[in-house]
Amino acid sequence: MLRFIQILSYGLLNGALYGLVALGLSLVFGVMNYLMIAHGGLIMMAAYITFWAFFYTHIDPFLFILVVTPLFFIIGWILFKILFQSLMKFPEGEKIKNSLLISFGLLLIFSNLAILFWTADERAVTTVYSGKVLDLFGVRLPYIGLGGVAIAIIVIIALHLFLTRTYFGKAIRAVSLDHEAATLMGINVNKVCLVAFSIGFALAGIPGVITSLHAFNPAISFDLTNKALIVLILAGVGSIKGVLIGGFFLGAIEAAGVYLVGTPYREVFGLILFVLILMFRPQGIAGKKA
Amino acid sequence: MLEVHQVDVHYGDIQALWNVSFRVEKGEIVSLVGSNGAGKTTVLKTISGVLSLTKGSVTIDGVRSDTIKAYQIVEQGVSLVPEGRRLFRDMTVFENLELGGYIGRVRQQKDENLKWIFQMFPVLDQRIHQLAGTLSGGEQQMLAIARGLMSEPKLLLVDELSLGLAPLIVKHIYLTLKEINRSKKTTILIVEQNVRLALEISDRGYIIENGQITGEGKGSELLKSDKVKSAYLAMG
Repeated sequence: MLRFIQILSYGLLNGALYGLVALGLSLVFGVMNYLMIAHGGLIMMAAYITFWAFFYTHIDPFLFILVVTPLFFIIGWILFKILFQSLMKFPEGEKIKNSLLISFGLLLIFSNLAILFWTADERAVTTVYSGKVLDLFGVRLPYIGLGGVAIAIIVIIALHLFLTRTYFGKAIRAVSLDHEAATLMGINVNKVCLVAFSIGFALAGIPGVITSLHAFNPAISFDLTNKALIVLILAGVGSIKGVLIGGFFLGAIEAAGVYLVGTPYREVFGLILFVLILMFRPQGIAGKKA
Repeated sequence: MLEVHQVDVHYGDIQALWNVSFRVEKGEIVSLVGSNGAGKTTVLKTISGVLSLTKGSVTIDGVRSDTIKAYQIVEQGVSLVPEGRRLFRDMTVFENLELGGYIGRVRQQKDENLKWIFQMFPVLDQRIHQLAGTLSGGEQQMLAIARGLMSEPKLLLVDELSLGLAPLIVKHIYLTLKEINRSKKTTILIVEQNVRLALEISDRGYIIENGQITGEGKGSELLKSDKVKSAYLAMG
């Protein structure tokens, strides 16, 4: 029993990270129907930037969130202007297809850049508290994982408040519901999409920093995109609140898989879940029927 | 205050409007009537900038509006209540109204505008925290109009508000529009398939057929004209 609780709690700690990983992808997809599958690549790049910066400065990696997030916001801004703005005028299905192709290209570019700069070796940021655990009635919880959960909850609540309490956040939601009606309210849809897209990039920086604290290599970009897509489907498309729940759920399912079958099959359970959800509840766990 | 001058509009290769010209004076209620597919909605979408014209011009209070972006036309004082209402269905009544008053010019006056709008449509006050998609058809139409009024428009464009609503509710909403026109001096341009209803409350009317303006006159006169009687009112 203790072993199960131990595995489950690891699963939930991972789940918080999955939620963060999916957050930016979900926001961008919800607002403008762009399927940014390069999201995992961005997170991987953020992890390397953190690794690099830590190597030279030895400042606490969690503090790099304050640097990496704005940096990625700016990168998102530039890439939207260059690559994604021209897709705005397409109908919905075309937007998904075109953004999928462009971002798949970006994903390959990011992976190869990472190999070029940092080689394919496994890296990790090692801090003084790496490997330290909190012992809770025999269940061992790593501090890094707990930090990840705290950050995930803070970020998702902050994003939720931004989207529901500010005029600009409401404009983002309005655009995600109906571009034309939003225009009729005097909302500059192009600008809203530009900012939402950049926020999506910025949101890749945060899980990037957390990822850097675990072992990682350039190939995780594909894994992370995978996880993000599974969480997106679990949460229901465009549901920000559902993302954290979806992340925890995926983490728990993976943990159950590890407990019942074994670690090598961890990824399989997520993908089986992905298929099952699409078959029986395509609107997601938290989503409403369309 | 609104002048539409020799406007052509195309959907791709297909021409939808031919040389459409008409004007609306300050404080008037004008209706644009015609059958399905005549181009009524196209006219409103062109004025609000959602569609761009291929020839001609649209002028509001002497300022060209066809050359600026659609979202800036709201700042110029034009508000469209679109066909099918197009509410933000997953947002609350309150949020829909807030978005109606999104533009910078009117944000300060939000509370006063809300107060006035709840006097006009008391039912919205009771539904304030409900999701827009859960309202009844009539309430949704009232919300769509209320949302359009939150930007304090000089010119309110109303597209096909009777669609799918019970006649009694339609009548009630039109009377409210008339009241708004009287109390706030808001100029209103109505597009309507229900010709009799529209002409009854309008000062003037234009008839549009196959993308061209084919008749105009006072509302009461048009109602009596043979053309309107035979084509739209199924009389004689």
